[in-house]
Amino acid sequence: MDSALIPEGVKRCALWKFLLGLAVVGGVLVWGIIAMLLCWIKGLNQTNMNDYYGFALWIWADLAVIALGGGAFFSGLLKYVFGKDDLKNIINYAVLIGFICYSSALLILAIDVGQPLRSWFIFWHANVHSMLTEVAFCLSCYFAVLTIEYIPLILENRQIDKVPFFHNLGHNMHSTMAIFAATGAFLSFFHQGSLGGVAGVLFGRPFAYRESILNTIWPYTFFLFTWSAAAYGPSFTLFITWLTEKITRKKLVKNNTIYLLAKISGWMILTYIIAKSADTLYWVYQTAPAKGFNWDFFFQNNALYGKWILFVEIIVCGFVPGLLLVFKSSRENSFLRVAATFLGIIGVSLNRWVMVLQTMAAPVMPFDTWQLYIPSWQEVATTILPVAYGVILIMISYRYLPIFPQERELNPVEGADPDHAHAAAPHIGHEATVA
Amino acid sequence: MKLSRRCFLSFSIGGAVGTALSPLPWKLTDDLSIWSQNWPWTPVPPDGESTYVDSTCMLCPGHCGIRVRKIDQRAVKIEGQENTVLNPGGGVCLLGLSGLQLLYSPTRVKGPLRKIKDDKGLPKWESISWSLAIEEVAKQLMDLRAQGRSHTVASLVGQEDGTVPQLLKRLIKAYGSPHFYHMPSVEDTQGAVLSLSQGIDGFVGLDVENADYILSFGSALLDGFGSPLRMMRAINRLKEQKGTLVQIEPRLSNTAAKADLWLAAKPGTEADLALGMAHVLINQRRFNEDFIYNHTEGFELFAVMVRNSYTPEAVAVTTGIDAATITQTALAFAAAKRPLAIFGHGKGQAPGSMREAAAVNALNALVGNINRPGGLHAMPAYDYIDWPAPFLDGIAYAGFNAKRVDGSGTPSVHRFFEAVDAAPEKLQLLMIAEANPSYSLTGCGKIKQAIKKIPFVVSFSSFMDETAMQADLILPNHLYLERWEDIPMRAGAVRQTVGLCRPVVAPQQNTQHLGDTVIQIAKALKGTVAQSFPWDNYYACLKQTMGNQWQDMNAKGAWEKEPAVVSPEPGFKTESGKLVMMNEPLKKILGAIVPAPEGDEKKFPLQLVAYDSIRLSSGYIGNPPFMNKVLPDTVLKGNEGFVELNPETAGKLGLAEGQSAILTTPHGQVKVRVHLNHGIMPGLLAMARGLGHTAYDGYLSGKGVNTNELIGPVEDPASGLDAAWGIQAILAKA
Amino acid sequence: MKQTQIHNEQPPRRYGMAIDVDKCTGCGSCMVACFSENNVPFKQDETDKLLSITWMRVYQLTNGKTFPHTEVAYLPRPCQHCAGQHEGHSPCVSVCPATATDYSADTGIVSQIYTRCFGCRYCMGACPYHARYFNWWDPVWPDGMEKYLSPNVSPRMRGVVEKCSFCFHRYQMARDKAYTEGGRKVQEAEYQTACAQACPAGAIVFGDLNDPSHAVNQIVKPDAHNHYKSGNPRAFRLLERLGTNTKVYYLSSREWVRRSGDNYRADEQPGMPGAAAQHG
Repeated sequence: MDSALIPEGVKRCALWKFLLGLAVVGGVLVWGIIAMLLCWIKGLNQTNMNDYYGFALWIWADLAVIALGGGAFFSGLLKYVFGKDDLKNIINYAVLIGFICYSSALLILAIDVGQPLRSWFIFWHANVHSMLTEVAFCLSCYFAVLTIEYIPLILENRQIDKVPFFHNLGHNMHSTMAIFAATGAFLSFFHQGSLGGVAGVLFGRPFAYRESILNTIWPYTFFLFTWSAAAYGPSFTLFITWLTEKITRKKLVKNNTIYLLAKISGWMILTYIIAKSADTLYWVYQTAPAKGFNWDFFFQNNALYGKWILFVEIIVCGFVPGLLLVFKSSRENSFLRVAATFLGIIGVSLNRWVMVLQTMAAPVMPFDTWQLYIPSWQEVATTILPVAYGVILIMISYRYLPIFPQERELNPVEGADPDHAHAAAPHIGHEATVA
Repeated sequence: MKLSRRCFLSFSIGGAVGTALSPLPWKLTDDLSIWSQNWPWTPVPPDGESTYVDSTCMLCPGHCGIRVRKIDQRAVKIEGQENTVLNPGGGVCLLGLSGLQLLYSPTRVKGPLRKIKDDKGLPKWESISWSLAIEEVAKQLMDLRAQGRSHTVASLVGQEDGTVPQLLKRLIKAYGSPHFYHMPSVEDTQGAVLSLSQGIDGFVGLDVENADYILSFGSALLDGFGSPLRMMRAINRLKEQKGTLVQIEPRLSNTAAKADLWLAAKPGTEADLALGMAHVLINQRRFNEDFIYNHTEGFELFAVMVRNSYTPEAVAVTTGIDAATITQTALAFAAAKRPLAIFGHGKGQAPGSMREAAAVNALNALVGNINRPGGLHAMPAYDYIDWPAPFLDGIAYAGFNAKRVDGSGTPSVHRFFEAVDAAPEKLQLLMIAEANPSYSLTGCGKIKQAIKKIPFVVSFSSFMDETAMQADLILPNHLYLERWEDIPMRAGAVRQTVGLCRPVVAPQQNTQHLGDTVIQIAKALKGTVAQSFPWDNYYACLKQTMGNQWQDMNAKGAWEKEPAVVSPEPGFKTESGKLVMMNEPLKKILGAIVPAPEGDEKKFPLQLVAYDSIRLSSGYIGNPPFMNKVLPDTVLKGNEGFVELNPETAGKLGLAEGQSAILTTPHGQVKVRVHLNHGIMPGLLAMARGLGHTAYDGYLSGKGVNTNELIGPVEDPASGLDAAWGIQAILAKA
Repeated sequence: MKQTQIHNEQPPRRYGMAIDVDKCTGCGSCMVACFSENNVPFKQDETDKLLSITWMRVYQLTNGKTFPHTEVAYLPRPCQHCAGQHEGHSPCVSVCPATATDYSADTGIVSQIYTRCFGCRYCMGACPYHARYFNWWDPVWPDGMEKYLSPNVSPRMRGVVEKCSFCFHRYQMARDKAYTEGGRKVQEAEYQTACAQACPAGAIVFGDLNDPSHAVNQIVKPDAHNHYKSGNPRAFRLLERLGTNTKVYYLSSREWVRRSGDNYRADEQPGMPGAAAQHG
C-alpha cells in the first residue's frame, strides 16, 4: 500500500503490522492527550503538585529529556565542527531523537505552566536575570535549529525528493548544516547550562545551591549540566539505536560509528563524574555547612531520599558506565556497552530528579518537615504522552525516511518479496506519472 | 490533476505562510492572553464610595467595638475600633474578622420557614410570610393558653442581659410560664459564689489590667476566655510589666505556653490545689490580716477545714503537683501587690464546679484583693431596663407561678431537657433564640432527643443550625450587622458598659429583628400580654429604655456607667456586711465530694477532656470558613478530627502520629486520628471543642467530631449545673 | 511596582516588620485579617496545608522537650520581602522569567503582578519560606459571599502565584493621600498592614526600617551597612544565613526560639552561627 513512500532498497514490515503498532502506541498517546486536556481545562489541580512541589515530575521530565536529547547537539558538534565524519551514519537519528526530546520538553512545559495562554510573556516581559528566561530563549532557538536539521531528512523521502524544489531545498540545507550544527551547539551549551543554573542559583535552597564560577552569574551546576548532557546524550542515542536495531531485527549502524560515539560518551561521562564528585565534595564540606547544614541532613534515608542516591548516581551510574565505555574491551562487548549506556541514562535522569525533586522535598526552615510526593495519573500520563509521540515519530520516520544511511548496505534486500514487489509496482508507476 | 495537486499544495503552504506573516496570529495570541487575564468567572469586586460604620461585635461575650468598611452598600472588611470603651486596646479577633462570612453566608435562613410534610411524608421547609409566621406562633400559644397549659411553654436564650432577651422573658411571664432559660456559662457559677460570699446579685469583674500576679485555674485567657481581646492585652501588659502568670491545667494550651509557670495538675483537682495554697497562706500567716480580720466572717471555720484536709503534702498526692511548688506558688501569690486568682475553665462556656469556684474565691479573699484595683470585683447587675412589671391575668399568674419542670433552685438547662425527655407532655412549645443547644450543650445527643419530643419548636436563628433544623417554625432574626441592640458587657468587665450594636448594612435576607418579632407575637396574643408590650416596635422600645443615655450611646457607640465612688471599706451586701469565708452552704460546697467523670475506669481507662481554641467558635456561632482555614492540620485533616495524647500514652496504645483510632466514651464512639503532643499529661486525651457540626453547608458540616456528643454533663452537687470537665474514655487502633 | 523617588534627599523607604514571638499567642487573627483584606480564596477543605493559600501563616515551634517541660511558641510568617545580598536580589525576584514579581527600590516591597504571572512556579521553588502560593483552583466564593470582596485587591485567577504584599494597596492609598496633601511623607499610622492592625496581642509592629521615628526602626535597630542586621539582641531573622536579608524581624528572649530561626550544624555552639554565606 505505502511502499511508494518507503525508501528504496530497504525492507519494512507489512502495513497492517505497522498500523497495528501505531494503534497500540496511539492508544497510549490518546490517554496522554486526555490527561493533557484535563490539565488545560480543569487546571493544575489535576496534578499532585502543591505549594511545596511547584516543580515536580514534569520539570524532571523536561530536564531529563533535554539532557538525553543532548546527543543531537553533541554529535552535531563532533561531526560538523570537530570533523568526526564517521558520525554521519548516526547523526540523522541523533537529530531525530533530539527533535523528539525537545518538542516533548516544550509540550510538557506548555502543560506545566498555570497560564499557557500567556506563556509567551516569558519573551515579552523577559527578565534577563532569570535562568528560566535563558532556558526559554535558547530552547526555542535550538528547537528551531533542530527543526531545520530535521527538515532535510523529511525532504529525503522518496516522493518529496521528487519535487525539484524540495530536492534542491534539501540539498542546499545539507550544505549549510555545519552552520546550524555550530549554532545548535552554542545554544545548547547555554540552555543545558541554564537548566543547571535553574537549580544552582536557588540560594534559598541549600540542597540545590552552588556557588558561581569566578563570581560570574553561572553556578557550577551550569557547567555540570552541559557536560552531563554532552556525556549522557550520546549514550541515549546509542541506546535508542540499539533498541531500534533489536525491534527491527536489523543492524542499522556500523560498529565503528557506534564504538566511536561510545568512546566519546565514555570519556565525557568519566570526566563529568569526576567533576561532579568534586562538586559534591565541595558542597558537602563548604556550601552546605556555610548555611548551617550537615550534608547528611539531606540524605536521611526516608522513604525516598537516602545516601544510596549518591552511590547510585556517582558510582553505579557514573564511574561504572564511564569506565565501561572508556575501555576498548568492554566498549566493544555489546552487552556491556548497552548496559553502560543504560546505566548512564538512569544516572543522568536520577541527577535531574534529585536536583528538582529532592530540592523541593528537603525542609529549609528548621521547623518545617520533609514532604514527599507521588505524581497523579494525569501527570504520569502527560509525561508518557511524549514518549508515545516519540515512538510514533520514530516509527514513521524510520519507515519512510532514510534515517540510517548504512541500512541498505548492512541489510541487502535479496530476492525481493514477490508480494511486496507486486504491491509496489503500480504505485511507482502512478507516482512516476505525477513526477 | 497534476496542476491541481501542486496548486493545492502551493495554495496551502502559501496561505499558511501568508497567515503567519499577517498580524492575525499575533492579534489572536494577544487577545487570548487578555482573555486569560479577565476570565469572566473570576469575580471583579465593584468599586464605589468607601465609608466606615462603627458598631459592636456580638459574636462572643467579649463585645469588641468594630469598624466596618463599606464600598457603597457592601460591607467589605471588619476591623477593630481604635478608641472605644468596649475594648480600649483596639483590634479584633479572628471570629470578629470573619463576621462578613456569616453575614453573606448561604447557610443563613432566607426568611420565615415552616416545616411541612411532602407527598412522601418527609419533612421539608416551606417559605411563609412574616404575618403568617407570627400568626402561626400566636395561634399555637393561644391554643395552649386556652387549654390552661400556658406553663408548658418555654424559652431558651443565649444569655439574659439586654432588652431583646428581656422582651422574650417578659413575653414568657406575661403569657404565663415559669420556663425561661439561658445557656449555661461560667458566669452562673461565679454569680452563685458571689451571691453566697458577698451577697451581691450580679457578676464577677476581673481587674486583669491592674493585677500583677494572675493565678488562672484553667481559664483560656489567651484562647477566648471572657472578653478575649481584653484578656490578651492584659496578659501582654502583665508580661511587659514583669508580672507573673501561672496557668493550671493538664494540657499545654496557648495560655499555658505563655505562662511564667505551668502547673499541670490532674484535671478535676483544681479546687484541691487552691485549698492547698490556702493552707500555705494560713499556716505561714501570709494572708491579708487586715482584710481577713476586719472584712470577713467564717475565717476560723475555713482555716480549720483547710488545716485538717489540705496540707501541701496531701494536695500534692491529689493533684500531682509537688508540695514545694504548691508552697512556692502560694507564697509568690501572697507576696504580689495585686494578686488575682481566676476561676473558669477554657472559654467559660460551661458553669464548672462550685467547689472549685468557692476555693478560688477563698484564695482571692485570703490575699484581700476583693473590690480593689487588680482584684476581683463584685459587679452589680445591670438595672437600666426599668420597665413596669408586665400585666398578668389569672392564667399568667397561675402559669408563671407553676413549678418548673427542672425542679431545681436555679434554672438548669440540662435538667430541663432531662425532664422534657422523661415526661414530654410537660412541654408543648419551646422558643429558642441565639442558642444552639442541640450542638453546644454537653451530652447534646440527649438534648437533641428531648427537643425532638417537643410538639412545637420555634427557632429565631438566623442560621440553619442543628437546633433550627429541628424546629417547626423558624422566624429568623437579623444578624448583628443588620440590627440595633443594646449590649451590656459582662465577661469580667470591671465597669458597667452598654455597647450599641447598630445596623451596618440593610438586612440581606427576609429576616426580622427578634425584638419586633416578640412585640408582634405579644400583640397578636391580645389581652394583658399585648398590654404588657406598649411599644410600637423594637427600635422605639430600645430608645425609650435607654432614655437619656440614648444620645450619648448613639454618638459614642457605647454608654459607660460612672464608676461607683471607691470607698476604703469593701462594703459587702451580706447580712454582716462582711465577706463570707465559710458558712453552712459554703461548708457544704467546699466539703462536697467531687463528682467523678462519667464512666467506669476499668472499662474506660483514659480520660477525655475537651479544650477550647480561639480558632474554633463552639457556641451558637458556627466556625466560619476563614477560621476553619486556620485550623492546624493536627486538629482537622480532611473530615477527620484529631485526639491529642502524650507520646508515652500513644506508645502504650501502639499508636503513631496521624494514625486512625476508635475513641469510645459512655456517650458514643467515633473514628479519630491521633496527634502526639508532648504538652499533654500522660493518660489524658484532648479534643478541640467546636467541630463536628451536622448542620450548615460543606464548609462546616461533617468536619471532625463534636466533643459534646462524647462528653455528657455531670451535675454539680451544689448548683445542679453542669460541672463536667471530662469523661472516662478508651482509645484503640482502628 | 517600581516608583520614581519623590524625596531624593531622603533614604528610600524600607518597609519591614518586627514580630514579637514572646507576645504572639498563636490566635491566628493576623491570618484571617489578611484573608479578609486581600480577598484570599478558600475551599471547603483547607486541611491540606500544602494546598492552602495563607499569605500569612502562623507556625508552631516547640522546644522538643517532654511533659511537663514542653514549651511552644508561635511564629507568624508573612512574605519576608527579601532584599538579598545586593538590594533587590530576592530569591524569587531574581528567578521570575517574566518579571511578574518585582522588588520596589522605593519601598523594599516584593510585588506580584497576577496578570503577568504565567504560573511557572519557579519563584515558589526559590522561596525557602514557602511564602508563595499557587492558585491550583479557580477561586470560588459560596453564593453571596463575593459581596464582601474588596475592590482594592483583585481576586486572582487560576494558575498564578500569589503572596503577601505588605498590603501594598494600603500604601498606595496612603501615598496618594499624602501626595494630594502637598507631597508630605506617609505617616507611620497611615500605612499599616492588615495583620499588624488586627493583632490582638500587639505582637506585630510595622513601619519604615529606615525612619528613626518609626517604632520598627527603634525596635530592630537595623545596621544599613551590614545587610540590615539587627542591633537588638532579642532579634533574629528567619534563615539569615542563607543571605536572604529579609525585612521581617522576630523577637524573643528565649534562646531556643531564636535558634529555631536558623539552621545550625551539629558541631556549632548554640547562638554562635558561622559566617553568613556569600553568594553572587
